[in-house]
Amino acid sequence: MKGRKRVIIIRLLLKFAIFLLIIMMILLFEEASAQTDEIQINLPKTVGKWTKPDSAQRINSQNIFEYMDGAGELYLGYFFNHLDVYEYTAEKANSILVELYFMKTSDDAFGLLSLDWGGEPVSLTNSPITESMPTVAPSSRSLYGAGLLRIWSDNLYVRVMAFQETPESKEAVFSLGRTIVANRKNPPQPKLLKILSPTIGSEWMLRKDRIRYFRSHLVLNSFYYLSHQNILNLDISTEAVTAPYETVTAIGDRKQVQFLLVKYTNPDHAQSALDNFHDTYLPEQNKDTFGGAKAESPHFYRIEDGWVGYNKTGKYIALVFECPDQETGVMIFNKIEFNLTNLEDDHGK
Amino acid sequence: MENKQSILTRRDFIRGTVGATLGASILGIPWSNGFGDSPRSSLVTLARDQKAMSDDMVVDQDVLKKMLDQAVIQFTGEKKIKDAWLAIVKSKDTIGLVSTSHLNPTHQELVDAVQTALIDVGIPREQILMAQGGPDKVKACTVLISLPALKAHWLTGIGTVLKNYIQYSGNPRNYHQENSAKLGEIWNLPFVKGKTKLVLVDALHPLCDKGPQVDPRYKWAYNGLIVGSDPVAVETVCLKIITEKRRALRGEPWPLSPPPLCVEAADKIYKLGTSKMEEIKLKNFGWTQDLLL
Repeated sequence: MKGRKRVIIIRLLLKFAIFLLIIMMILLFEEASAQTDEIQINLPKTVGKWTKPDSAQRINSQNIFEYMDGAGELYLGYFFNHLDVYEYTAEKANSILVELYFMKTSDDAFGLLSLDWGGEPVSLTNSPITESMPTVAPSSRSLYGAGLLRIWSDNLYVRVMAFQETPESKEAVFSLGRTIVANRKNPPQPKLLKILSPTIGSEWMLRKDRIRYFRSHLVLNSFYYLSHQNILNLDISTEAVTAPYETVTAIGDRKQVQFLLVKYTNPDHAQSALDNFHDTYLPEQNKDTFGGAKAESPHFYRIEDGWVGYNKTGKYIALVFECPDQETGVMIFNKIEFNLTNLEDDHGK
Repeated sequence: MENKQSILTRRDFIRGTVGATLGASILGIPWSNGFGDSPRSSLVTLARDQKAMSDDMVVDQDVLKKMLDQAVIQFTGEKKIKDAWLAIVKSKDTIGLVSTSHLNPTHQELVDAVQTALIDVGIPREQILMAQGGPDKVKACTVLISLPALKAHWLTGIGTVLKNYIQYSGNPRNYHQENSAKLGEIWNLPFVKGKTKLVLVDALHPLCDKGPQVDPRYKWAYNGLIVGSDPVAVETVCLKIITEKRRALRGEPWPLSPPPLCVEAADKIYKLGTSKMEEIKLKNFGWTQDLLL
């Protein structure tokens, strides 16, 4: 009996040892993967007449406010890992600043680029990047203007800025950009963007240059102010996209409807956010009418700047602001719901 | 439910109920509609010179000195530059120069020009302090000359005059987002109140987008200095310039977002000056192209 017990114990110990070994291998693999991005970005010691320091200034979520004051809130509003900063200096010339924002996902790096589609699109690779399943958002991955190059490259968001734009500094900025993106993957844009249609009916056109992808109410407020409070319960677990639909009237006036879609972690999370939004933004409106905010059908309310509407579909909430009439809102929601169904089907495949 | 009704939203801006909502929520102070029936007037002077900066954005110190002299003379109404400065500061004063190093820093050339001007009128060099920083910096001064640079800000809308004293609070992060409405209270702290004799905004190379980090596409050569003693009036003029520049850049309205709550609150709650353009007497001289006012 004693011998049998000993065998069982030895077997258990062996299994435990194998289990520990597997865990250690996984951890080592993850660490190696995490380091891969940094290994790939092998910035040159010199570019043109500029020279970089031997090591980067490493910024993480603990010291980001020391580096950039309140601007840190922007990056912490996405899945932020860390930031490496290099300042290339030269005698008798202004510096070139390289900021490498390592985000935890490609979507988050895309979100940072999407905050401003302005500037000149530039190609930093010899082979053009083709989207296998393009969305309606601009396809640019690198934008340049007045000395600043901004790049989305996989999980990396990059700012390379010459403090003074000259032909020489511009060439150096582009050269650094090409080095940074070399041999990196180019994942597609966030899937959530597929719910956007370029047109609604025959009149309403999507302002593609104003498509923003984000997770934080501070980021939302920086381009479409709703409230200083987080009335839609946005957080790092949520994904959101917003853009205006625009029409031009016969007399040349522009009208816009602001569209916003938020994806929550589950339907309950979405419901609680919708309740909070309704109670705060529409406190005088009875949400129990026609089944209230709980009913998964479009709801519209006339307020000071037009109609505001929302439509909950499972874990998604779609909203429209400044809508001229309910019919337009219904058209938008119907189109989005159709796209959402396709999006969910794609996920299932 | 009642608590949620006092949360500030976009609708308050459309309805014109920002003050009531803020007063009932974070400020806890009634929002007044101004200073009763008494007419208010604040003088703001703007000096511009097309040659203040080269094409490479290098400041011409001689041109800058001339602009500074003109702005101070126009503001004080004195005829001589020495009398103009001595109408602002006294020889016994300890003067704090409050420049900014964040986002769009104050040009060092402007700080130097002010320092030189003060020394030239007889202020001992040791009585001129660089006073940006924590509360101890301001406590050492009897007079402050605020030297912010014109810029927008991603958490407070505008980040020029009122925000320039945020470090004096000892807790700057308490004044972001909705609480940016309370920036005016810093100017009423016992060791700050009444010390600011001149607000001199560096509008040579402003930043009209709010960042959060500098994007040079949104900087432009305005080549100006904006001068006043009413911080709210000066901020209101700054806000107008930034708003108009943003509209001009996009060719359509491009409002600051989030909206700058601090300007009107500084007027209505903290009584620091006027936020109404019609109550501001604006004297501008020099270059008038793309004035944006």
